[in-house]
Amino acid sequence: MKQFFISFFIFSAGIAVLVSLMFLSVSGGSSDIPFSVVRSALLHFDPTDMRHLVVADLRLPRVVASALVGAALSVAGAVMQGTTGNPLADSGLLGLNAGAGFAVALCFAFFPAAGYVYIVFASFAGAAAGAFLVNFVASMRRGGATHMRIVLAGAAVTALLAALSQGIALYFNVAQDIMFWTVGGVAGVGWRQVAVLAPCILAALLTSMLFSRSITVLSFGEEVAKGLGLNVSFVRLVSFVCVTVLAGASVAVVGAVGFVGLIFPHLAKFITGADYRRIIPVSAILGAVMMVLADFASRTLNPPAETPVGAFAALIGVPFFLYLSRRQKRAT
Amino acid sequence: MQTAYQIYKRKIFMRNTLVAAAGILLLLAALVVSMNTGYTKLIPSDTFRILFGGGTDAENLILYQFRLPRVILAAMAGAGLALSGCIIQDVTKNPLADPGLLGINAGAGLAVLLYVLFFGTATFLAVFTLPVLALAGAGMTSVLIYLLAFKKGEGTSPIRLILTGIAVQAGIFALTTVLVINLDETRFDFVAMWQAGSIWGSGWKYVLALLPWQMVLIPFVVYRSRVLDVLSLDSCAACGLGVDVEKEQRILLFCAVALAASCVAVSGNISFAGLIAPHMARRLVGPKHSVLLPVCALTGAVTVSAADTFARVIVQPSEIPTGIVTAVLGAPYFIWLLTRK
Amino acid sequence: MNSITAENLSAAYEDKLVVDGLDLNIPKGMITSIIGPNGCGKSTVLKTLGRIMKPRNGMVYLNGKDISRLSAKEIAIRMAILPQSPQAPSGLTVGDLVSYGRYPHQRGFGTMKPEDRKIVEWALEVTKLSDLETTAVDNMSGGQRQRVWIAMALAQQTDLILLDEPTTYLDMSYQLEVLELLYRLNREQNCTIAMVLHDLNLAARFSDHMIAIRGGNIVRYGTPEEVMTADVLRKTFRVHAEIVTDPRSGRPACISYDLIRDEGDNS
Repeated sequence: MKQFFISFFIFSAGIAVLVSLMFLSVSGGSSDIPFSVVRSALLHFDPTDMRHLVVADLRLPRVVASALVGAALSVAGAVMQGTTGNPLADSGLLGLNAGAGFAVALCFAFFPAAGYVYIVFASFAGAAAGAFLVNFVASMRRGGATHMRIVLAGAAVTALLAALSQGIALYFNVAQDIMFWTVGGVAGVGWRQVAVLAPCILAALLTSMLFSRSITVLSFGEEVAKGLGLNVSFVRLVSFVCVTVLAGASVAVVGAVGFVGLIFPHLAKFITGADYRRIIPVSAILGAVMMVLADFASRTLNPPAETPVGAFAALIGVPFFLYLSRRQKRAT
Repeated sequence: MQTAYQIYKRKIFMRNTLVAAAGILLLLAALVVSMNTGYTKLIPSDTFRILFGGGTDAENLILYQFRLPRVILAAMAGAGLALSGCIIQDVTKNPLADPGLLGINAGAGLAVLLYVLFFGTATFLAVFTLPVLALAGAGMTSVLIYLLAFKKGEGTSPIRLILTGIAVQAGIFALTTVLVINLDETRFDFVAMWQAGSIWGSGWKYVLALLPWQMVLIPFVVYRSRVLDVLSLDSCAACGLGVDVEKEQRILLFCAVALAASCVAVSGNISFAGLIAPHMARRLVGPKHSVLLPVCALTGAVTVSAADTFARVIVQPSEIPTGIVTAVLGAPYFIWLLTRK
Repeated sequence: MNSITAENLSAAYEDKLVVDGLDLNIPKGMITSIIGPNGCGKSTVLKTLGRIMKPRNGMVYLNGKDISRLSAKEIAIRMAILPQSPQAPSGLTVGDLVSYGRYPHQRGFGTMKPEDRKIVEWALEVTKLSDLETTAVDNMSGGQRQRVWIAMALAQQTDLILLDEPTTYLDMSYQLEVLELLYRLNREQNCTIAMVLHDLNLAARFSDHMIAIRGGNIVRYGTPEEVMTADVLRKTFRVHAEIVTDPRSGRPACISYDLIRDEGDNS
């Protein structure tokens, strides 16, 4: 019961922090816009006011996208860690990042004229294909996909796809363009992208939440879960689809920000215990807060240049993760 | 009258000899083919003619100053990375470990990047200082990871080493991204090539620079193979057999870092060789290190030499980084391994 | 005469003290079993005696010598220790694993000398593994695997073997097989054996000495007849036990037991 209250408190406090951070983030940037203007832009939008336009068309979609992506990556990590029993699981492991990277490399090399939206879609398709490939390889042998085999297959497929994209990038001389794309973060996001992104991510978040009880059971181990009457392969399939949508959509928009998916579920577990009904919402909030913060920092630290969001997320997350892994009694 | 044991021992001996002979033959073949390929084509008979002193000045220059050192360097880097990977896999008991796990590539990469950032790519000094810097970067990163994973009274556990390695690498990667974004195109391409693993240090001086490391470290780790055997058991069991687990782990990891870092310094990022070559070797000769380590060095040398040859043939007249070829050729093998046993 | 003596021994995981101020003797030439409930610290005691864990406080003496002053190898030629269900790398053969037992006796490259080979053969024979020498350890059943590890400890040729639950995961006949093997080693080779055992009746049947531990403290130390009493078992395991004399072995045996109900922990 105590943990329930702690989780509830963190969740509500997290939402408050998130909303105020989003507000702050919308007002800050390469040119500061006072809070009053932000409020009036939200409440009585005036299309002739330049500052209203900046808020509504440039800053707001971007901040909303950051929050969505942060929550998505974090929950994707939590679901993966729960269903695979691997505490180090994140979207990089499933071949999602490498698949997306490969698709982006192909786009830049062969369709240099493709627009932003097409690249996002290609990237999403690539992420899904990467994840599918990993699962396919892992389940090719009799006995199906065990945890260890997924990890190994993930490493192999990632190595292959990463090498191929590197090769393409260097051969077609597009390495730096790809780099800019993958670290560009949420810079180019407008309402059109958010309109595609939001339903996908929200649906997948909701589904993960609905299955959180099953995920908790599955995290005790496959045999225990079967014994408790869980349809393990069905839950696995649903989780796989959720993770692919969550991580794929995020990676497509902000590039490879693997570390968020690794640490926030850990932090959530640390705070709330082993129940995924609490871990999932708490890690979603934590991830969102973190991502909005990172995006804000990346815009304000040395304007007008932007520092990559992923790099920020990692730089904040790494010391924290190190601290956590030292505290942990027996890291398993 | 032979006992079953003697027959078995003979069989194992035959198998090992066969593997070693095949490995050496393959390596020689790879070396010869590699010497023949490149911008100026030579056929094997030419190569032998030049090697035995019958070449023109131009031919001598190509073979002795460009091809031969590079070919030898590829083989040496392959052997070093493979041994390093094998040691790290067995000490951390993690079949997926490679020298990258201890931050070697990340550290070396950051060092190279910093150099390029401050001094550019064109300076004459780069040839001498870059390997040294890469070595320092790699060494410092691994020491950092080890220290961060070290806990007073408990030492390091393999899992904590892996966790710390991942975290530190992520941090360095982030730093690299921030810095890389601001590079101009020439510098960016230089760093990108390095990170993709191209053997760019191709001259005798690099061979000479790498040689002392390998001359000391390879015999030393092979000499330690018995300790590695015991360490690859349960760490409690190893302790019971009289191994000072903490100390031996430290010594062996240090050797692995030194081996890999010295290779990465001249060859760029070819860490995939360090991942798959030990797996190949284990499949061939099993887990006893007195045989495994030498065979592992062979498989690594063959893999990287072959990859390096391909790297120069596929897109002539330019070339693609050897690291990419290693991964593209190696990953399917790894996947094939997975789908079997 | 004691093989191992511990004085004022304390051991802890992180900040949690598991064993606090324990004095203990493992007598030479005998079989000693350590029994106790889950989490009572019996494995921790064995690990600290076998220097796998460093004690927080106190001393361990091996044949009268301070164990912290002996080198790892010096200990390993006097004492073998077998952890609970140890792991071997895949593909390793029985013969190779057993030959690792010669590690503390070898130097440098560690080529197998004829006498090393003889000892390995002897260890395989005693454990009835001679025909399986070339089999891979990971292809074996649990009972066979346990025998392989015991054979490795035997190849170490020590007068003292410590074992942490050598019978876990084994069925009845394998349990007996392992314990009879240890019994034979003790009686024929005069090898001192100390082990953690779960099964009280087996412990009473095969041991000369028993140590009952609860909460990191010794409840009772003595012969099976002295330790296997209703009173000691009540204090150690919080159960009402019915103790009889096993007509076959002449040792005490617990034929039935019940949980103690409605009684505080400090009874």
